[in-house]
Amino acid sequence: MSSGTRVKISGAALTPYNRRKDNSSFRDWACSAFNDALYKSGLEHRDIDALYVASESDFFTLQLNPASVIASDIGIEGVSTTRIEGGGASGQLAIHAATRAIQSGYVKHAAVIGVDPSASMLNSDTIKKLYSFSFDAWTDGMTGVSATVLYALSFQSFLQRTRVEEKQLASVAIQNRANALHNPNAHLGREHTVDEVKESPLIAAPYRRLHCSPLSDGAAAAILSRSDSIPSNRKNAATIIGIGGASDAMHLGAREDPGHFRAKETAMNRACAEARITPDQIGVAEVYDAYAGAQLQAIDALSLSDDLLNDLQTERFAPTGQCPINLSGGLLGQGAPTGATGVGQTASIALMLEGDYVPALQPRTIPRYGLADTHGGVCTTSAVTLMEKSVSV
Amino acid sequence: MSNYTLKLDYQLAPGWLQPYTEGLSQGRAVSWCCSTCERTSFPPVRTCTCGQTTGTWVALAGTARVIHYTCGQDGEFALAQFEGADTATVVKLCHNTATNLSYQVGTSANLTGSLQASGSAKPELVLRLDPIGKTS
Repeated sequence: MSSGTRVKISGAALTPYNRRKDNSSFRDWACSAFNDALYKSGLEHRDIDALYVASESDFFTLQLNPASVIASDIGIEGVSTTRIEGGGASGQLAIHAATRAIQSGYVKHAAVIGVDPSASMLNSDTIKKLYSFSFDAWTDGMTGVSATVLYALSFQSFLQRTRVEEKQLASVAIQNRANALHNPNAHLGREHTVDEVKESPLIAAPYRRLHCSPLSDGAAAAILSRSDSIPSNRKNAATIIGIGGASDAMHLGAREDPGHFRAKETAMNRACAEARITPDQIGVAEVYDAYAGAQLQAIDALSLSDDLLNDLQTERFAPTGQCPINLSGGLLGQGAPTGATGVGQTASIALMLEGDYVPALQPRTIPRYGLADTHGGVCTTSAVTLMEKSVSV
Repeated sequence: MSNYTLKLDYQLAPGWLQPYTEGLSQGRAVSWCCSTCERTSFPPVRTCTCGQTTGTWVALAGTARVIHYTCGQDGEFALAQFEGADTATVVKLCHNTATNLSYQVGTSANLTGSLQASGSAKPELVLRLDPIGKTS
């Protein structure tokens, strides 16, 4: 990276993503994820200099200033605490903030925790209404536009310049949920057929129920460390080699091409420039698939494909393909506790690059480079993180 | 699990957007026209893509063409461009008569309509669709 300070992911962990019915709270999940990540890092509580907590909304948690509360809960009271919020991108933005803090020289080890109770604390209609204020509250929000409606309209624009068919759209949900079947932390591991997807209830055309990610509860954590301060038994931890962020016009209709995730393209370009790699070198990716079509739009914007239809046909992004995408199941299969999403994506890629991911989903040949991609709004805020496996792996 | 109800009554101030929100309540599409490049934004944007922050409020005719249409359990909405605007906007749709529009992936909607007054301070963007076949 440009600053010369290398940042490693010394610890990474995720709780199960699902709808909790066990009387546990988001603070319990945050503690669980942190404790597991800290254990993996080989560090002690006293080693942590700063805490970054990603949580999308106080409405979900009914807890303002959650970072200070979680710092006390996890036993690192006294450290610098910051809450990060950027809609769906919150978790990845927290990873970026921690990375830059370490590069600044003031922090050796930072804990990043993403958490949200998106499923169990409020009913789905209330969550849907709150999500509508993720966009411009004075235009889209007050008009009652749902996230699914906005994504559907964006995807229709994408369809105008691609020739993606209904079957290919369905295949995204089918693949991600099939991956999730092998992930013990996943919310929606399922076997679906194209017909089942096509016959599921229409939410906002062309999106049907099975094209949409679920609301989930859960947490994820990562411990980021200066490479020269990492415990000797963690030298095989993955390195963050480039991060990039960008934003786009808040109104879908103000964009030159409402179907193109321009902010994601810009964020990817910035991350690649910092990492000094090109998109075709990426060998595994977790991309933001809030909706099945959003995964295709992400592949396009991230330049992970020169010929999308051909790459879908030849299963380039399948578990055994050249660049597996969303082995975890993605948001569609693993689930979507919003604040946790970006942290969980980065944690998952870091574990894959170490060869320590869920055995059934671990790539047999570990690629050199991995990508985690998260966004908020209809890609109004984008955050991309590039990682490299250790030379010792 | 403990039940807990929180009721929130906001007093929302539209600020700079006041001409726009007042227009919507009366069924007028009030846009923002940049003083430098004359890009007309509806909904208005405070800083134009050219970087200019000064401009004038301009009332549009209030008729719009649907670019993309969607329907389903979340309702009927569209990405529509109002006549005289350089940008498009997402609108809720309503009909003069009960009509269920069929939708097929990849087809263009070819619909037009007019802005409907929200009748309240809530700045809803609602487009009343013209009967099929009519063009603005």
